[in-house]
Amino acid sequence: MKRTDAFSTYHPIIGFLYFAFVILETAFFLHPVLLVISFASAMAYSIYLNGRRAVRFNLLMVLPLMLLAAVINPAFNHEGVTILGYIRDNPITLESILYGVAAAAMIGAVIIWFSCYNAVMTSDKFIYLFGRIIPSLSLILSMALRFIPAYKAQIVRIADAQRGIGRDISSGKLSARARSGLSILSVMVTWALESAIETADSMKARGYGLRGRTAYALYRFDGRDRLLLAFMVCGFALLLFAGGVRILSVQYFPAFSVNDTGFGVCLFYVVHAVICNIPLAADIREDFIWRSLRSKA
Amino acid sequence: MALLAVKGLTFTYPDGISPALADIDFEADEGEFVVICGRSGCGKSTLLRHFKTVLAPHGKREGRVYFSGRELSEVGQREQTSEIGFVFQNPDNQIVTDKVWHELAFGLESLGLSPPLIRLRTAEMASFFGIGDWYHRSVFELSGGQKQILNLAAVMAMKPRVLIMDEPTSQLDPIAASHFLATAKKVNDELGTTILLSEHRLEEALPLADRVTVMSRGTIIAEDTPARVGRALMDAGDPMLHAMPAPIRIYLSIEGAAAESCPVTVREGRSYLRERMRGKIADEDRREGARAESRTVDQTNRESAVLLKDVWFRYGKDEPDILRGLSLQVKYGELCCIVGGNGSGKTTALRAISGILKPYRGRVSAGGLNASTATHTELFRQGLGVLPQDAKTMFTRKTIREDMSDLPQSDEESIRRVAALTEIEHLLERHPYDVSEGEQQRASLAKVLLNEPKILLLDEPTKGMDSFFKQKFARVLSKLKAEGAAILMVSHDIEFCAEYADRCALLFDGAVVSEGAPRDFFAGNSFYTTTANRMCGDLFPGAVTAEEVMRRCDARS
Repeated sequence: MKRTDAFSTYHPIIGFLYFAFVILETAFFLHPVLLVISFASAMAYSIYLNGRRAVRFNLLMVLPLMLLAAVINPAFNHEGVTILGYIRDNPITLESILYGVAAAAMIGAVIIWFSCYNAVMTSDKFIYLFGRIIPSLSLILSMALRFIPAYKAQIVRIADAQRGIGRDISSGKLSARARSGLSILSVMVTWALESAIETADSMKARGYGLRGRTAYALYRFDGRDRLLLAFMVCGFALLLFAGGVRILSVQYFPAFSVNDTGFGVCLFYVVHAVICNIPLAADIREDFIWRSLRSKA
Repeated sequence: MALLAVKGLTFTYPDGISPALADIDFEADEGEFVVICGRSGCGKSTLLRHFKTVLAPHGKREGRVYFSGRELSEVGQREQTSEIGFVFQNPDNQIVTDKVWHELAFGLESLGLSPPLIRLRTAEMASFFGIGDWYHRSVFELSGGQKQILNLAAVMAMKPRVLIMDEPTSQLDPIAASHFLATAKKVNDELGTTILLSEHRLEEALPLADRVTVMSRGTIIAEDTPARVGRALMDAGDPMLHAMPAPIRIYLSIEGAAAESCPVTVREGRSYLRERMRGKIADEDRREGARAESRTVDQTNRESAVLLKDVWFRYGKDEPDILRGLSLQVKYGELCCIVGGNGSGKTTALRAISGILKPYRGRVSAGGLNASTATHTELFRQGLGVLPQDAKTMFTRKTIREDMSDLPQSDEESIRRVAALTEIEHLLERHPYDVSEGEQQRASLAKVLLNEPKILLLDEPTKGMDSFFKQKFARVLSKLKAEGAAILMVSHDIEFCAEYADRCALLFDGAVVSEGAPRDFFAGNSFYTTTANRMCGDLFPGAVTAEEVMRRCDARS
């Protein structure tokens, strides 16, 4: 079961900008503290969104991939000054191990953020956003999304009908199966064109092709969207500034060094943590509101 | 002044020898509801398509088309788009986008309306048609009937003055069809939209109309109010009379030349007949009728072709049961019809017999084989033939002949034989998609017959057939039956089942609730029965077809 997600109800542009920024930021700052925060936040949000399915995905798919990344780097990368030992005359360095762990965390976090992106940015939202840039593209995508399931269903119907007259594509000799499979595909093309004629008539009858077509969408950019966007942009700007002046700098090779832990740096850690947890915060806030509404009732 | 008019319209398709429309004069006034009927290929669709420039077919054309007093060619595309709405036959193909809200907005987007205005119009239409709760759904979650309502709403969102519908219910089951027609009537009554509707299902559509136009071979042969059109057809001696609703036919056969204004609905027919037959039917008669002779053939000693015993089926472990202990038997040489509402498991039962679905409990056997374990090839060798609902799915080749000779058991001789039987000889060289729907249905039947099926499974074979081809189709079935084939047919077409079946079974909630010879079967039902029986059931118990009622009336008067 999917939980209702408050962040998903914001305007698509918010979701898109948010994920674009968070994913790029995670990929480019290889700063250990930032990565840990990003990884933990992505994990928490994905579990909030997808529940048990997310736990399974993170453990079975993401974790092995991360382990692989963490092992591969020290095995092939021998830079760094702190040599811990040798395997077959190849030095294993502390720096390359650290770098491998950071890369693994980065990969894991990015994948998990993408899984959240998938859950939040549904196809309608994507179509809407790209429709704003290229209006005809949004219609084409919407039509494609309508046709693909229809084609699939028709292929199944044809295959069933052919079975009913003794031509089963799931049994018999391979050559015969291939032949009847191909003939089904070829008739599918005819069928698709045939039904497209009627679709084209229906489009013409409803004025497709007239000048000045508008694009309607269900989304409205309202007050709370503006508020969140302003908040997000401030956070992004701060982090970009931090990146620009190299406050949040990290160096893995030749020797590992990270920026000092001054008050300013900690402030940026907090900003980063806030940004990474915006969706979860929106959800928790909404959950809290609902609970208080119910207790009053 | 008429809102829509054609004067002296003659139209010939580029490859046609005779004109598809010959010198048609037709008018529709503002706010009128006109039903156009006629057998397949009479020119209904061709005429309707002339009322919208972008849809008008290519070919040689003479005569004029007027919209609101101006010639249609002078009315701009933008105006035509919003003022003249068109709903097509196929519910699926005319849907363009993937979401209900987007489909509703499509025409308005074309017209370039501003998003707030589109929001208002789609909201209005969603409320008017009661489809507000579908607004966010994907179109493929909708049933056929729902899709057609959506198509209607999407056209109505543009606020057309005239709504043209070309056989919009031919792909729908009867419940969805009557819901659709009632919705069309609501549009006409409450919004005042002029409606032109072409229809096969006259029992439902005729009572809604202000005027009925009957076409045949590209000309208009009768045009009158529903109550009077029957008389006009009778005078013209036209076979379309047999396609008229039962009350009209019964009335005309009783009154003959004295006929004037016919009863159109069951209610009117009932009160007419009661008045007319007062005192002529003694109680003795009624009891006689109740003991009506049954026309079932004695089949006790025949072998059973299909046997279902306590069959249970569901699609997944956590899904609801679709078949719940279904038991059914079909014997060789018999036509058995399964009737029942949507979702009662009719099609599922057919698919279980043809081995496509495997029940998790119970036994299905076809031709002596266990259908769940036998392969399709084995079942096929036992003479199992399946005719699916959508005839198009049967064809995979470029011509009908090629398609038939593709099957292993076909040769010149057998192709000629089945083509003659289904009357498609002249179509053999055509592409299967280029022939009309009725012809596709016949060609797919021919394909099934090639195997000389001993067990024939038919899924809604009469859907979209006009009443003339139904009679032909019935003759083909009885010929097969005489050769000893077992035929199991799933259908919504109660009138057809009543006339031609040997046995009917009513499926409900995944099991057979009632079963018997059509006479006893339908006479025992009070709602799920033929129009004739609903009209005359209390006067002539056991009379389920209009023909039977006419015979009994004749005997009395």
